[in-house]
Amino acid sequence: MNTQLETATLGVAVAEALYGPLGRDDLRRYAQASGDLNPLHLDPDFARQAGFDDVIVHGMLGMAFLGRLLEEAFPANPLRVFRSRFRNIIPLGQSIRCTARLEQRSADSVQVALTAAIGADDTLVIEGSATLGLRPAR
Amino acid sequence: MPIDRKHIGFSLPRFDVTVDQDRLRKFVGAIGASHDSVESGVAPSTYMKVIEGAGNSSREIVRALGVDLRRVMHVEQEFEYHEQIRAGDQLTVERRVADIYDRKDGALEFVVVDSTILRNGGQSVGRSRQWILVRNAVTT
Repeated sequence: MNTQLETATLGVAVAEALYGPLGRDDLRRYAQASGDLNPLHLDPDFARQAGFDDVIVHGMLGMAFLGRLLEEAFPANPLRVFRSRFRNIIPLGQSIRCTARLEQRSADSVQVALTAAIGADDTLVIEGSATLGLRPAR
Repeated sequence: MPIDRKHIGFSLPRFDVTVDQDRLRKFVGAIGASHDSVESGVAPSTYMKVIEGAGNSSREIVRALGVDLRRVMHVEQEFEYHEQIRAGDQLTVERRVADIYDRKDGALEFVVVDSTILRNGGQSVGRSRQWILVRNAVTT
């Protein structure tokens, strides 16, 4: 099997996609589907008490988009490790640009660096990494 | 008030989760993934969080630590995958507070929660580690 992950030059972006924009209904839908009913993502009054202007997007929804990016771009490469650091809040109404960059390659796996960014100035909201196997899932 | 370090090692009673096809479909819809991934029956990568969070277990941990939910932020997440999770799987979840530490003279406290997901009560399907930030009001 010969995938892009086996041949691409280290450092290049191997996958990129834009998700969103995300509105209140999207957050409600994610909250119900995931069972994460933290009012920080649903109730503007609660969000203000927590020190924000309005509800903010679930960090895990941003991470889910990074996961989608990998699953859709590399369906034959099983995820082994997947990490995310939520560096900045994601406000309502933003689209999220997700990018995977090839970092390292060994005999049976690759490591990619992941970023999720928003807005015209590309504000970093999630920084992460993933290890994918170079053999298909069992 | 700082979180009592006696909570390091706190664990929830093990609980069982059946991966439900309908819930999986709703989740896939909510993250906007394609229909193919639903039909394959394989859970998306971050679905592990839904499994470990079943029964509002994350809220239960925050409550057990005596932390005000308004001060809590999920700041980091790590998953390790050993086997695919599929609709119909019967899984068991173990969750434990692995560490509590602080930064900036206690203004920021971090709670590390480890979860292990087992199939049929034995074989590991995956592991998760979550870092929760608690923002404390510090009086000087």
